[in-house]
Amino acid sequence: MTDITSSYGRKKILKGASFTALRGECVAIVGANGCGKSTLLSVLAGTLKPKSGEVLYYGKTAWGSLGGRMHADMDIIRTMTGYVPQENPLIPELTVYDNLRLWYPDKKKLQQELSHGFLNLLGVHEFSDRQVSKLSGGMKKRVSIGIAMAGMPPVLLMDEPSAALDLVCKEEIRRYLQVYLERKGTVVITTHEESELEMCSKVFVMKEGRLEQIDRELRGEALVSKF
Amino acid sequence: MLLQAIMLMILIGTIAFCGAKGMEKAPLAVQANIGVVVREENVMTKMALSYVENLESASKICHFVQLQEEEGFQSLQSGEIAALIVLPEQLVEGIMNGTNPFVEVYFPGNAGLETLLLRELTESGAGLLRVAQAQIYGAYDTAAAYNMTDMLSVMQGEIDSYNLAFALDRLAVYEEKTVSATGRMSIIQFYVASAVILFLLLSGMAVYPVMQQEPTAFRKQLARQGTGEAWQCFCKWFCGFACMGLFCGITWIVLKIAGVLFPEAAKAVSAMISGGGSGFHVGVKIGMVMLIVTTVSAFSYFIYSLSGGRTGAVLLIFLLSVIMIYLSGGFIPSVFLPGAVQAVGEILPTSYLIRAAGGVLTGYHADIYKQCAIGMCGYTAMFAVAAYLLRRRD
Repeated sequence: MTDITSSYGRKKILKGASFTALRGECVAIVGANGCGKSTLLSVLAGTLKPKSGEVLYYGKTAWGSLGGRMHADMDIIRTMTGYVPQENPLIPELTVYDNLRLWYPDKKKLQQELSHGFLNLLGVHEFSDRQVSKLSGGMKKRVSIGIAMAGMPPVLLMDEPSAALDLVCKEEIRRYLQVYLERKGTVVITTHEESELEMCSKVFVMKEGRLEQIDRELRGEALVSKF
Repeated sequence: MLLQAIMLMILIGTIAFCGAKGMEKAPLAVQANIGVVVREENVMTKMALSYVENLESASKICHFVQLQEEEGFQSLQSGEIAALIVLPEQLVEGIMNGTNPFVEVYFPGNAGLETLLLRELTESGAGLLRVAQAQIYGAYDTAAAYNMTDMLSVMQGEIDSYNLAFALDRLAVYEEKTVSATGRMSIIQFYVASAVILFLLLSGMAVYPVMQQEPTAFRKQLARQGTGEAWQCFCKWFCGFACMGLFCGITWIVLKIAGVLFPEAAKAVSAMISGGGSGFHVGVKIGMVMLIVTTVSAFSYFIYSLSGGRTGAVLLIFLLSVIMIYLSGGFIPSVFLPGAVQAVGEILPTSYLIRAAGGVLTGYHADIYKQCAIGMCGYTAMFAVAAYLLRRRD
């Protein structure tokens, strides 16, 4: 991702943000509330159009300038990325299985994932017949990750996945991400949780619309002082 | 929820129907009691009085009661009679010989509507008589001045024919004209049309699973998958449209089955509802039904987009449906509502919907089909654009 700029109306949020993540790498983006972390992830996920800059996935242009205008190749974004937004993309009235069916067109593939795939690893199979409205926050988040993983994308974009979750849920998600990284997946995560930084190979601070790489070992006040 | 809505609808409909039936039975014109005092027991006067009493125009609005003078004034004071006419002695003879004795007409001070009306009629009648008298005397003087007395009978004949033609014209005032508050539809047809529209509008409360706003994250995921906002919008509306269409279809099938099971009752109900309109091509009817469902579903979808939450949307649909149906004259025919309310009601979508439903049921209103179709298309487009913009706002 190179020199991404983005704005809401006249307010500039991203002012030339750049970073690179390698295969099998977990990149964390930290920063104060409202600094533009979610905006950056929205651009990477293809749900927000940047003003300028370039986004490449495995050398293929996802966002780029074409004839002076920003253009997205949604096919590349769709196949390369899975997006876990802060809010869960679930229909509360439906069961977990029905929600998953919306994103897994192949029923057989879904059954496989539930019985011994990533969804099984996430533990979704244990509550797949329950209505979403009756699930805990952690369960919903795991289903959201399961939805993002439909199509097995090589890049996973996660916007504060542990926010408002208990320790057990956080640990389950962390364990899942560990497996994903071992299988050479790439994770870009925005977070306020220091524990999540443990598994990250690079940590960037979002400050005044730009990304600055910092020492991944920084914690506590030393980390906050970089915001 | 739909069941509760239907129950409520039936309750409102029953109240409105009873109210309208009451209005239908209430006489709009009041028959006024008129006291008549005859000061002299004269055969000619009695004959004249009997003649006036039996005039069709007079007997429709007046009931003459012959009273003694003292008793007449007491009745006038107590409000038992709307006016008191005192006929002088030698009335008919006086008219014949030209002395023209006065007929006294008394009205009570605290006059009701019928008394005011009678006073107006009496004054205009007296005015007419004064003019006629002036014409006769004028003709007499003119004939005398120009030495044309031999022409007097011709002149008087002309004056009489002129005045009689003028006076007889008053029959137009008493001409019986049936004006229906529900237009060309009967009360039953009118309320069936209103109930169908109210049912459809309220069925919008039952389609919340397909029409309510889904989480923003879900919509963003859909957009990532290549399903844009406009297409999402269309699909949601279409699901609601299909559900409402299904409600209509099921209701129609249930009614058809009931018709097969109870043919006599079905025949009677059909005769009451269909009402012998000129009839339309079945394709036109189906088209109108689809347009009605389209407009109603677009309205529901707009409300779901506006309110965001399910509870708010359901409440809003209920309130707006009832208010709009009321303003459009669906509970009480709009002619009985204040002018300002009528003006507002006429431009509401429910006004077009009720008229279109009435047209489909009765086969009447071929002339307004086009107008209804344009109105419904306009509202559908407006609701669709507004819903789309509201979605984009999020």
